[in-house]
Amino acid sequence: MKRIINIRIWILAIAGCLGVQAAFAQVRPPFSFNVNYSIAAPMGSLSDYSGKTSFRGWQAGLQYMLTDQLGIGLKTGFQDFYERVPRAVYPTKSGDISAVQTRTFQVIPALATVQYQFTKPDAPVIPYGSLGIGAANMNYEKYWGMFVDKDNSWAFMLSPEIGVNIPFGKASPLLLNISAQYSYSPYKLAEITNFSTIQGNIGLRWHID
Amino acid sequence: MNTRFREASGKEKYERMKQRKTNRFVRKTGMMLAVAAATVLFLNSCSKDPLNDMTDEESRIYVTNRDTTVNFASYNTFSIVDSVAVASNGDTAKRALTEYDRQLIAAVKSAMQSRGYTLVDKAAKPDLAINLTRIDETYANTYYNPGYWTGWGGYWDPWYWGYPGYGYYFPTYYTVYYQERAVSIDVLDLKNADADKQINAVWNAMFRGAGVWDSSNINSMVTAVFDQSPYLQQ
Repeated sequence: MKRIINIRIWILAIAGCLGVQAAFAQVRPPFSFNVNYSIAAPMGSLSDYSGKTSFRGWQAGLQYMLTDQLGIGLKTGFQDFYERVPRAVYPTKSGDISAVQTRTFQVIPALATVQYQFTKPDAPVIPYGSLGIGAANMNYEKYWGMFVDKDNSWAFMLSPEIGVNIPFGKASPLLLNISAQYSYSPYKLAEITNFSTIQGNIGLRWHID
Repeated sequence: MNTRFREASGKEKYERMKQRKTNRFVRKTGMMLAVAAATVLFLNSCSKDPLNDMTDEESRIYVTNRDTTVNFASYNTFSIVDSVAVASNGDTAKRALTEYDRQLIAAVKSAMQSRGYTLVDKAAKPDLAINLTRIDETYANTYYNPGYWTGWGGYWDPWYWGYPGYGYYFPTYYTVYYQERAVSIDVLDLKNADADKQINAVWNAMFRGAGVWDSSNINSMVTAVFDQSPYLQQ
């Protein structure tokens, strides 16, 4: 809790500093970075494996605006899926295993992004669409009781996103970011035939000199 | 202050201004990076540890394997060992008859009887033999493979069942990597042992996880492995 309060104070302090700075700037500096909290719901075969919506995630990115409305960047993040299934008997090739299964999955994407903003940077609300393409580190850990079946590998990932940036005051370099994102990867392992999630993000974007 | 400022040359003022600007930039960027790093660390620590809240009961798995070519109704009688072998940290063969072992023998015996098999003395040429082994590999980091039993001097050498010189045959699924305590129940085919001078393992059950050597868990563990093996029936 203390940590959260500390972060809040920092965010406020930085918001203050940047506000002063912004008074001199006519347009936002082209370079920005963002940190978001994210919630993701698994879909398809991933949800058959571990169906619970994940409230343990974050996302961070860097972006450079080539023009007023077109930007390129990089983004990464983390999402942790977890579900415990009560004791059940699972058939094997020549027998059965009775176990409480704890099915976990962690994904860390590393994507290149292209973003298009639908309004000029001085608008009070800046809607945008973006597309991320790259790779994701997939960490599969299925616990049978205390024993784990593990796999860690990389897979191709595609991730379109739509969202809005809301500046804290006109031309402020600090913006509130809210977005919805879909992620797909042709990842295959055991019961998972592909990776797909729908994700909501909320956080801050800073433009810096 | 004002006096000093007036005395400074234009170049000095410019230098000072440049310095202030750089300082501000460094301070600002540093703070941002610190916030970003703190946020990332905070959120990352939110990933759930599956073992953290796991009870002993949840930690245990009950694994059964069988010879799928065998008709278990073709056997009528069985016999069970009079003590339990202890395979401890790669140590040489040792047998024990603790209170736990007595209860384990009794539980397996009555489970077999409830499936219609008749308990006989090992001298009476039973169709099935049952070996019991406690495995303790908590310290030694070794492979446990019952196929090597005889090679190690024998936990349950075939002579115990009246088949001196025979070998055991264990399918490959018996090889399990251990760093734990476990219990193994092996059901062996003596009825057809003469055919190829070999005693085949036809059914195996393993208790793995926390508390498998705790006698208060014996009944629920034995019940579980028999319940998931309905084919094991006279």
